[in-house]
Amino acid sequence: MRYFLKSDVQHRPLPTLRGHAFIFLFLFSVGMVPALLAQTPDSERPVPILTGSAGYFTFVNAGQTTLDAQINPVLLLPLGDHWLVESRAEFEGAFQRPPGGGSYGGSVSKNLDYAQVDYIANPYLTVTVGRFLTPFGIFNERLYPIWIRSLQQDPLILPLSAESSDGMMLRGGFPVDAKANLNYTVYVSAVSTGHSNLASDRNVGGRIGVFLPGPRLEVGVSWQKLLQDERSNAFGFHFAWLPAQLPMSMHGEYARSNQGSGYWVDAAYRLSQVQFWQTAMRRLEVAGRAEQFFSGQISADEAQALGLPGANTREGEFGLNYYLQDGLKATASYGRQFSSDGDANLWTVGIASRFAFPLGRVNTP
Amino acid sequence: MRIKITILTFLLALGSVLWAASSPRSSESPNIPIAHSQEEADTMRVDGERRFHANCGRCHAAPHKFPPRMMATIVRHMRVRATITDEDMRLVLYYMTQ
Repeated sequence: MRYFLKSDVQHRPLPTLRGHAFIFLFLFSVGMVPALLAQTPDSERPVPILTGSAGYFTFVNAGQTTLDAQINPVLLLPLGDHWLVESRAEFEGAFQRPPGGGSYGGSVSKNLDYAQVDYIANPYLTVTVGRFLTPFGIFNERLYPIWIRSLQQDPLILPLSAESSDGMMLRGGFPVDAKANLNYTVYVSAVSTGHSNLASDRNVGGRIGVFLPGPRLEVGVSWQKLLQDERSNAFGFHFAWLPAQLPMSMHGEYARSNQGSGYWVDAAYRLSQVQFWQTAMRRLEVAGRAEQFFSGQISADEAQALGLPGANTREGEFGLNYYLQDGLKATASYGRQFSSDGDANLWTVGIASRFAFPLGRVNTP
Repeated sequence: MRIKITILTFLLALGSVLWAASSPRSSESPNIPIAHSQEEADTMRVDGERRFHANCGRCHAAPHKFPPRMMATIVRHMRVRATITDEDMRLVLYYMTQ
């Protein structure tokens, strides 16, 4: 379920990443000496980890069946007390029958979602350089992994901002008082067209959010300015709410750019409070999402090339997740899409898992 | 304009790196906090559990506990990804390693 960058569509040759590579190497070399000198007891010292997710899904969208198998390995390499090198790749095979019938066929796509170096400078600031997930809204950064998302179909507005950016980012979170935490992110990205796995747009942007621990509510705003081509602005709002009295979570986003606008709201409710069939019910989660997309100032062909609907679209989706064990769930959902291009049914069934392996000893003698 | 933004971002990051590299490490080490009494340990565990559910539960179901050295890596990763606060990170790490 990928989409394309603006630079993929507009074929504009632009400079290389040389400047940002210099920043990366400089920061890495300046910080490496104190990082490696940091002292942490062996029993608490972070160990490198290979984690990530794997899954297999069958999507039937408007009668078109897609068999989708994917694995998304995440490498976490902590260095000293302040550094973290992290990377996520995506290997996804999507197989469909050709028009007119025949056996399933398709290609396996390989994508580098992020490969970044984080320097936790102090309690208020983390500096990130490299390729990172674009912090616009919350879905792309926090809810994208298949073992996290409650419904496997991407929100319609997800392609309104680039998935990954190549450059530098400053971010952090800190309490402003006993009842509120503030989090922020600002970033600058260079255009990259040399390799499809490292594609990014030239842009700047930021996100700011407030988390209220009492009601467990987070709200925030995002902004992004494209520094190429039409030099357009995009902005968005997001929220996440985890009621204290219910085993439920709610998320939502609104986004607007010249390519379109729209919103989605989802909720997932774990049936752990149901009084019958408790063994099964506490493993079962019901989820729903409502969303809408409004076409922007680009043609239908351009929109579809970016992964956006070609016309105004409404969609509702309902699904079930059954947690077989920690990090392993079976999922099924049904959705109905209403569009002037034609209405469609969206079926999904599959299984998603999370894995985590230490790349070193976790037990000290 | 974009050159100015790049330079400003770079200078901010460089200053932060140099400042942090010259700061005493004991005050900001992200190690698991130490409880000095049973009462303090109980308080930290309860507070850590509350913060764990409030921060981590906003996005995903609660995972089982991993060994302390793995949890230290995972919590550092989530601190960056979810921009959770330094205090929340320490207490969540304490809770998840007890």
